[in-house]
Amino acid sequence: MPRYRMQYSKEGTARYLSHLDLLRSFERAGRRAGLPLAFTKGFNPHPIISFAAPLGVGTAGEAEYADLELKVDLAAGEVLQALFGALPEGIRVLEVRSISDRSPALMASVERATYRAKAKLKDRLGQQKLDDVIAAFIDRPEIWVERKNKAGGKKKYDIRSGIFAISGRSENDTIIIEAELKAGSNGNIRFEEVIEALQASSSLPIGGRFVLNRTGLFTLEEQAKKTLW
Amino acid sequence: MDLLDQILPLVQKPARYTGGEWNAIRKDWSEVDLKVVFAFPDVYEVGMSHLGMQILYSIVNSRNDTLMERVFAPWPDMEEKMREHKLPLFALESYRPVRDFDVIAFTLQYELSYTNILNMLELAGIPLRASRRGDEYPLVIAGGPCAFNPEPLASFIDLFVIGEGEEAIGDFLDVFRSAKVRKLSKKDLLLEAVRVPGIYVPSLYQVEYLAGGSIGKVEPVGDGIPKRVQKRVVRDLERVPFPTSPIVPSTEIVHDRIMIEVLRGCTRGCRFCQAGVIYRPVREKKPETVRSQAAELVQRTGYGEISLTSLSTSDYTPVRSVIKALIDDHADRGVGVSLPSLRVDNFSVQLAKEVQKVRRSSLTFAPEAGTQRLRDVINKGVSEEDLMAVADVAFQEGWRAVKLYFMIGLPTETAEDLDGIVYLAREVLARGRKAGVPRGRLRVTVSVSSFVPKPHTPFQWEPQVSFSDLKEKQAYLAGKLRDRGIVLNYHDAGVSFIEAVFARGDRRLGQVLEKACALGCKFDGWSELFRLDRWLEAFQKSDLDPAWYAGRRYDYESILPWDHISAGVSKQFLVQEHRRALAGVTTEDCRAGLCTGCGLCSGLEVEPVFAGGEFDAQVPDAVQ
Repeated sequence: MPRYRMQYSKEGTARYLSHLDLLRSFERAGRRAGLPLAFTKGFNPHPIISFAAPLGVGTAGEAEYADLELKVDLAAGEVLQALFGALPEGIRVLEVRSISDRSPALMASVERATYRAKAKLKDRLGQQKLDDVIAAFIDRPEIWVERKNKAGGKKKYDIRSGIFAISGRSENDTIIIEAELKAGSNGNIRFEEVIEALQASSSLPIGGRFVLNRTGLFTLEEQAKKTLW
Repeated sequence: MDLLDQILPLVQKPARYTGGEWNAIRKDWSEVDLKVVFAFPDVYEVGMSHLGMQILYSIVNSRNDTLMERVFAPWPDMEEKMREHKLPLFALESYRPVRDFDVIAFTLQYELSYTNILNMLELAGIPLRASRRGDEYPLVIAGGPCAFNPEPLASFIDLFVIGEGEEAIGDFLDVFRSAKVRKLSKKDLLLEAVRVPGIYVPSLYQVEYLAGGSIGKVEPVGDGIPKRVQKRVVRDLERVPFPTSPIVPSTEIVHDRIMIEVLRGCTRGCRFCQAGVIYRPVREKKPETVRSQAAELVQRTGYGEISLTSLSTSDYTPVRSVIKALIDDHADRGVGVSLPSLRVDNFSVQLAKEVQKVRRSSLTFAPEAGTQRLRDVINKGVSEEDLMAVADVAFQEGWRAVKLYFMIGLPTETAEDLDGIVYLAREVLARGRKAGVPRGRLRVTVSVSSFVPKPHTPFQWEPQVSFSDLKEKQAYLAGKLRDRGIVLNYHDAGVSFIEAVFARGDRRLGQVLEKACALGCKFDGWSELFRLDRWLEAFQKSDLDPAWYAGRRYDYESILPWDHISAGVSKQFLVQEHRRALAGVTTEDCRAGLCTGCGLCSGLEVEPVFAGGEFDAQVPDAVQ
């Protein structure tokens, strides 16, 4: 079955859609676009759409990936064109490429993710001070966070080794934090946890909450980041 | 949106409040004369499943001079955040405050949503009482099934639309726009609006009470105001717009599928059923229309399922051929067809078979009463043989679970009738075993609700059984239905009790509503949020007894609080039906050819419309 990889963004009002909502949106858009979607067999057929990495509710995604299978071979440009006018607000397909049937599964390929968080500052924050705070944060050998497990109990995790880079900018009344984190099925670090841990470790004068965006998803090729195309 | 980005990550299901759905319509405020906001007094997932809203949204937005946006009741967690940040209630399309619209239109789907109405007005910064809203506030209107007894809300709503809204809404908007151009005061606007058929303006009626609290009279305060407001009826479903581009939510809602109305009205005449009275006469849509609407809807929504909706879809004359045609048209695109409720007959099971390739979930039937005697009283034409035959077929065809709906507290009910429920449930279970359904999988769910006497039905004079009696009956059934494979569900008796009070109530209940809302009552239809203790306190503070309202037995000469609203059916007919009920005599569906004399067709100058074009359309037999 012909396979396609889509790069898309999920922003604005779509920021608050869950992963399942996103799947549903693509399925319906595919139908509206008249795309000959391939369906799984069995009792509850659904379109064959798979995503690289789920995005938490409230985090926007600027360059996300999903794979799609069709029953009929179409040019990638046709698929892009079809989806273009059929997606709800906030979800935009940026590029579509044909990929080989034998390409590895998206989810298995993801290794890294980059993020950006923005918040309003309550007081002035000098760039030097911010740099110091971040340096102190990243100097820690361990950074512990608590996660609730399925049974409702809490478990502690050390996320330090999953943080590959982190930096910050102070611009007038706004603070911007950027980070590169481990991602994917081999160990996923949540950006919300990094931000929470950073705030807990220092008294940054944040007014309100951080707004989070995932800016990129990558695989690794010889230890270097590579896009998922 | 900035403030929302600060709040939304902290609440459950934030997408309830963002809008941006496929087919949502955002119009430019500077380009229209009137802005209407449709306010559904429940949470997003429930409101977005409401077909009526999609119909009116489409109609109002199709006009060049008006726009319609939507607002739903914020869940308590969001409400708390909104109050904390002083964010007033806003519409989903433009995010503008609800207070900035010209008209707020509430839909009255069920009585337990009334506190949400008041709470939403409060959150919007709008005075609750109509008398305290001057011209600078939006006009607050309401319609829907509960408008057939609008009195408990009379102090809060400026204007009610009685009956079907497709044509009435346009008439009302024309009057409003003209009044706005002439800069009429609210008072004068209402005096003009009241001349539109189907519009009821409560402030233009005076209610007098007798010593014991009964209604003495309800009278218009001046000339030109109708003594009785007659419901609006759409004569021909073909000629009113049906939304073929409904809003498609991105999140999961209760009814996540295409809804096509195939038929409106039902004349089977079950005596407890208000819908059967208020939606008369029966009007069917032509099969070609259903098919072409389905094709457009699939194209414009992308949904994977088409549901043919109505009060009783297996009664739709061409249902079988339409289903077949839809499956043929759309199956290869992965779009299926579903039917909501089914009649208790073989025909329906065969239909269900055609539609469900997989026998997942259960088949639901509504015998409503446990004995033939009581079923005849309520005019539910289902016999035990019917039910067993249908259960046999269902199990043989591969279904493993059956759901049965019953009511307790029906007029003339005795312990024998409750035993009948137990008996029927056990018999159906036995049929399942006989058909070889594996014991572990076989399930009969018995869902029992409490009877609420509704206005404009033959039982409108009957009392609701007392709260303690209801609980006793529930306990009785729970004690007896302990068989493996049988699951018993029943509705909170307190909820049914308050429902009865407001269904049968008069204007004095306004103060109770206000106090209940002030005490924190909201989302009363949700059992986890319903607080009977707060309601009882609200009644006590208002010096009114809820049991008096719920448990009142009226006599035929009493003036009922809703007598000035007409559903088109004559009181003599309802009296006659009530008498027949007590005598255990059944009445036939007028579709079969014999008019039962309800008075609707001659009174409203309408007639039933059947898809075949014949008046005496063929009606599938109740027994196969």
